[in-house]
Amino acid sequence: MAVLDRMNSMFRRAPRWTYIALALAFALIFPVLEQYGVIETLWLRLGTRTLVYVLLAVGLNLVLGETGLLHLGYVAFFAVGAYTTASLSSPRLGYHWNFWVIIALAMLLSMLFGFFIGLPTLRLRGDYLAIVTLAFGEITRITFNNWESVTNGPGGIPGIYAPNLFGWVVDKPGEFFYLLLAAVIVVVWLLNNIKTSRIGRAWNALREDEIASHHSGVRPLQAKLLAVVLSSGVAGLAGAIFAYYQQFINPTYFLFMQSTIVVCMVVLGGMGSIPGAVIGAVVLDTTPELIRQLFTKWLPDAVGADFLPGVQTALQQDFDRYRMLIFGLAIVLMVIFRPEGLLPNKLWRREVHEDDPRDQANTRQHMFDAEKGAQDLEA
Amino acid sequence: MHWTGDMRMWQGNTRKVLALLLALAVAVSMFGLVGCGDDDADTEDTDTTSTEGTTETIKIGVATSLTGGLADYGFAAAEALKIAAVDFSGFEIDGVTYEIELIIKDDKGEPAEAPVVAQQLLDEGVVAVIGCLTSGNTKASLPIYQAAGIPLISGSATRPDLTELDFENFFRTCLRDDLQGAAIGEWAVELGSEKVVVMDDRGDYSVALADEVIKTLDAAGVEVSREEGQEGDVDFSAQVNNIKAFAPDTVIFTGYHREAGLLFKQLVEAGVEAQFMGGDGIKSNDIGDEAGGAENVEGALCTFGGFAQENMPGYTAFADAFMAATGKEAGPYAENNYDALGAVVAAMQLAGSTEGADIIDALHEVEYDGVQGALTFDSIGDVAVPGGGGTELIPRFEYKSGVWEFIE
Repeated sequence: MAVLDRMNSMFRRAPRWTYIALALAFALIFPVLEQYGVIETLWLRLGTRTLVYVLLAVGLNLVLGETGLLHLGYVAFFAVGAYTTASLSSPRLGYHWNFWVIIALAMLLSMLFGFFIGLPTLRLRGDYLAIVTLAFGEITRITFNNWESVTNGPGGIPGIYAPNLFGWVVDKPGEFFYLLLAAVIVVVWLLNNIKTSRIGRAWNALREDEIASHHSGVRPLQAKLLAVVLSSGVAGLAGAIFAYYQQFINPTYFLFMQSTIVVCMVVLGGMGSIPGAVIGAVVLDTTPELIRQLFTKWLPDAVGADFLPGVQTALQQDFDRYRMLIFGLAIVLMVIFRPEGLLPNKLWRREVHEDDPRDQANTRQHMFDAEKGAQDLEA
Repeated sequence: MHWTGDMRMWQGNTRKVLALLLALAVAVSMFGLVGCGDDDADTEDTDTTSTEGTTETIKIGVATSLTGGLADYGFAAAEALKIAAVDFSGFEIDGVTYEIELIIKDDKGEPAEAPVVAQQLLDEGVVAVIGCLTSGNTKASLPIYQAAGIPLISGSATRPDLTELDFENFFRTCLRDDLQGAAIGEWAVELGSEKVVVMDDRGDYSVALADEVIKTLDAAGVEVSREEGQEGDVDFSAQVNNIKAFAPDTVIFTGYHREAGLLFKQLVEAGVEAQFMGGDGIKSNDIGDEAGGAENVEGALCTFGGFAQENMPGYTAFADAFMAATGKEAGPYAENNYDALGAVVAAMQLAGSTEGADIIDALHEVEYDGVQGALTFDSIGDVAVPGGGGTELIPRFEYKSGVWEFIE
């Protein structure tokens, strides 16, 4: 873990934009690598799905990380967006609406949905909010499952048309990659601006102490509602593009497990940190595949089929079956050794490691001591 | 002093702008390349130096669920296919002997994972894919296989609409749910039912089955009332009340045995005296325990979605081979997966080619003698059996003192 710590301090020391530019440049040339056969199409297809999760994680970070609301029904808004696309751009109901109209409508519908769910539930705190949002997530899925006249119930909606952006028909993984990348960049830029604005500080204040912030002039319900509505819009956007990309959706895409995974992405990436949410999504979505490739391809290719001496060869060939086990183990280790997440923001990091010597300079006691010393000197 | 400060800021900004411009330039140039790049990835080893006696290896993909809730079905499919790969390896086309290499990939039973697995198999260069395990995953990956011109043959995706989605590359070696649904309906009519309750669990499989049962019952003029539960429910008192008020002579539940057991128990306790029926979802001997005692299920009837084991010519030999290879009983749909690979090999021999498009064409023509009997595929890719694939194929079972017994 020391390596990660060092990387983290390096990250903080070096100017931030170099890393952002590097990540952006890598993302931009990623589909080109596939074009030239440097990487297999699999990685592009996986990367595209990862970008959907990046959108979701960045959106949930607003509620979970910034405002500190444990929201366990986030996938419901993702579902609203996906079903908007599927209903209005497939042979199911016979509509073939414009891409931009659908995107706008998907975001609007999920924001409305977020508003009406948020209004009664956001008066609750902590565990109660978690339970109620969980229930709403499940109710949404069951509704889509039963609303057969529109959603075709459990059979799902196949044959979703490819989107047409001013004449550019997006139907290859690489094209979807760029479309999603553009969405991620716009959303991250917007959310980053909001984060450092007045309302962003109000959210952080709410997270730290709701009563104190209320007495300092923050309206809790209003601020929370804004966070929930905005993040619902991001989920709706992600869902709408995801449905286009998959060309098929059914209710099993929107199980409670999906909400949990997005929560894990935010927590493992580092609560309240946008780069953290991005890294969390990338790591959690790609690791199972990396483990699979490592054990079924890279290791056998490099070392030979008998890459784990002493383990049955048949077992080694069946590694596909054990990858989720290894994945789970990796997460547990990560939570033990790095509870603040991969790229946490400063505040959250300090909360988890209260006695971190590197942050000593910023603690209240130290400041008090320094102040006192200065006063003594003056005297 | 003043201007140096400005200078530094200016430099910092320039660097920022430069970096962004660079990234953009890279992106724009590459964007063009992505746009006009041809899909010429498939022009690989076509060295047709097919001299007598050479041996080549062809890759067949397997997309199934080795983890997740349906892992037992996935295990049965993967093991059956491993046996099949050994059995069918060494077939000849134009003097070239072909060995089969299976590429087995786990899709966790999640539709979001299915396209990733599909792409992985295509990257490996497979000529055909056996899968997927579930209808949802099949729908999610079919567009990708279609674009690549690779046939997908499922041994267990039974949802009726799969073959009606205009994918010419999809085939299946299992029977459709609507055939079973019709068989349940016909059976209920044969028994002289006049008022029937049909209940499903809102699952993919269950709803399609219930729809078909109702269609058959409606056609026969039977009075039908529909109820629904959710998979995982434990309390059915609302439905039991409705059923009691309707006073049916037959109750058909198209979900799985766990819910069926609880439902039957609660119906018996409420004093409903009706004939209980179900599909292959309730065909588990555990249902007696789940219903709080075998007496609550005694006399219940069920059907099965595949051919009766007793009617499959090659089943005994296959089950023995499966037992020898894995030490376990052949699981559900194992034989269908075995036959799927057999049909692909037969199609390749018929076509005299190992190209995906040729295999797709040949699968429509091929007649393959497999574990389940002589199989052919109809024009939309459903399995057809010589002598008509009617409801008489569906085997029937009755629950007698703790076990489901086959009815001749």
